[in-house]
Amino acid sequence: MEGSVTTNIALVGNPNTGKTSLFNQLTGLKQKVGNYPGITVDKKVGVCKISEDFTAEIIDLPGTYSINPTTLDETIVLETLLNKDNESHPSLVIVVAEVENLKRNLLLFSQIKDLQIPTILVINMADQMERKGISIDIEQLKTELKTEVILISSRKKTGIETLKRKIENYKNWNTEPIASTADRIDKDFFNTIREDFSEMSLYKAWLLITQQKYCSFLTEEQKVKIGKLKSDKVKIKKYQHKETIFRYQRINEILKKVYKVDRSQATDLRSKLDRVLTHKVFGYVIFAVVLFTIFQSIFEWASLPMDYIDGLFADFSELVKTNFPAGKFTDLIAEGVIPGIGGVIIFIPQIAILFMFISALEETGYMSRVVFLMDKIMRKFGMSGKSIIPLVSGTACAIPAVMASRNISSWKERLITILVVPFTTCSARLPVYAILIALVIPDKRIFGIFNLQGLTLMALYLLGFGAAIISAILLHKILKIENKSLFVIEMPNYKIPSIKNVFYEVVEKTKAFIFGAGKIILALSIVLWFLASNGPSSFKNAEADVTLQEQNSGLNSEELQKKIASYKLEHSYIGYMGKTIEPVIKPMGYDWKIGIALISSFAAREVFVGALATIYSVQSDGNNVGTIKERMAAEVNSIGEKRFDLPTGISLLLFYAFAMQCVGTLAIVKRETKSWKWPLLQLVSMGALAYICAFAAFNLLS
Amino acid sequence: MQNILVYIALGLAIAFLIRKYFFSNKKGSCDIDCDC
Repeated sequence: MEGSVTTNIALVGNPNTGKTSLFNQLTGLKQKVGNYPGITVDKKVGVCKISEDFTAEIIDLPGTYSINPTTLDETIVLETLLNKDNESHPSLVIVVAEVENLKRNLLLFSQIKDLQIPTILVINMADQMERKGISIDIEQLKTELKTEVILISSRKKTGIETLKRKIENYKNWNTEPIASTADRIDKDFFNTIREDFSEMSLYKAWLLITQQKYCSFLTEEQKVKIGKLKSDKVKIKKYQHKETIFRYQRINEILKKVYKVDRSQATDLRSKLDRVLTHKVFGYVIFAVVLFTIFQSIFEWASLPMDYIDGLFADFSELVKTNFPAGKFTDLIAEGVIPGIGGVIIFIPQIAILFMFISALEETGYMSRVVFLMDKIMRKFGMSGKSIIPLVSGTACAIPAVMASRNISSWKERLITILVVPFTTCSARLPVYAILIALVIPDKRIFGIFNLQGLTLMALYLLGFGAAIISAILLHKILKIENKSLFVIEMPNYKIPSIKNVFYEVVEKTKAFIFGAGKIILALSIVLWFLASNGPSSFKNAEADVTLQEQNSGLNSEELQKKIASYKLEHSYIGYMGKTIEPVIKPMGYDWKIGIALISSFAAREVFVGALATIYSVQSDGNNVGTIKERMAAEVNSIGEKRFDLPTGISLLLFYAFAMQCVGTLAIVKRETKSWKWPLLQLVSMGALAYICAFAAFNLLS
Repeated sequence: MQNILVYIALGLAIAFLIRKYFFSNKKGSCDIDCDC
């Protein structure tokens, strides 16, 4: 039997497509395990009797997603397919796909098909099609792919005999390529390849050029030619990306014609869950409950560690003040650096909890259902279902969210998404919201269950989302740009979130917040402290002037010290700067100290709390430094009322909800839109909206 | 001595902020396909 083997058949496919099950079905017990030449990676080979007079050696190649080699497994697959002298080089290839992830599987198929080796597409797990509500027009798929296509179930052992009958006839298979991407990428470049490598197919030559190392079977002359063509590595990389994009475009076109999923007909657990989670009523209710749970938890769980961190930094400041030698540098550390850094560290618990929820929901597969659910709504507002991804990732940071809009194919939908994403409540707003809510919203429960502070936080998140939606509607009506788009999303299977993945995600996101914002806040704290601790002659003479003024007022020593500290701050450089802008911000209910924090936080919103912490810390003049919250709660206005009362607090919350206080986002919008027009529009319109809302809220609530 | 340390810290902070906002070069850390 062994002696009659004449044909090599390679089994290729993505991991987890049931390739090995098919291999076992085809070869039975007639298998052997060896190594690929030159490397110690297992190679499984088995013998299969296709018919009475046709026996084949089946080579089970490692599972791979593409043949653009980035891993050893992909290199093995590619070398086997390209090198005709390789002992495992196949006469035909069986590409194993699975019915549920056909789109991803077809990328690999299209690459192998373009090598012009006789290829058959085997779609495995066909027994699950009905349960999952999937239907495939096989005849149409055969025509589109110019390939034999067979449905099998390696688990139920169906379709194997049909596959063997088809293989018998492999010499008559169509070997035309299906995704001619070369001319669309760079016609001249690929014509050069055609001329230089006329002895082989264009795609094979292109794959050889994209290798990091020269393939072992190349001649010296071929290596020289390839060396010249791949000299511009950036260009090659870019062309590879373009090739993948064009392939997926072609695959999408084909699947649109032949592949249908009707979840309403499906009966598996996933489909039942999908029906509930994407239901036109329950879907939104469940999403609202999920959001509500997240924001309640942020306040419920984070308050204890936050109070602990706040107290720790206050004690640390006190410790430095009392134990270090007295002087300017000690003051800088105790009043500038420690309160500033404390203003960042304190928010770690809230940020970690937020990202723990988002990451866990992404892991379960629920977020993809939210994207699908929201598509119906988003379209009405001039955006795409894909816009929900930037809007959700905007809860972390608007910068990657703006970049995430690149997968929206319609320019109008993409531009609208870019312009409205900064309304989404980012993690930099969270510290500002958290401290202001804690100061002005009572910590009480409604109906004995709902925490009012948590509800306020959720309302602010919804306000940001609502502002994004309303802006999108307006932009959709105003922008005169032609709009055509198609929404395609692959729904992953549901799974239990991996604790390890969630943990790494939380650590990464928290680290990005701490080190991204932390360095800026540290630097700004130093500058602000300096400006608040120095000033012109009136600052330097503060002690003498105040003592003289108050000599008959009967103030005790502690009261006099407070008066001097307050006078010094008012006559410091920062005091003069704040006083200059005070007329502009006073209608919103802010004094010059809040004005300084507003300006400082123009670079990054989260600086607001750190800046106020530094200013109030300098003002305290070393007496009872206290926590950030205590210092803000103790601040009074000129008539002795709380500075952070309800009208001012709500005014500030609304200002931060709408204002474009982020230089980084402006820069990225400029880069993505290739124009200053759009970021300037955002800056001015969001700033105006923030000012009007803050002004209205303060005056209505006062 | 403490005054000198304050001015060094201030200088470093200002230099960092200027570099961050006026001479920021993000190309090096770009990890997605964005033609950069």
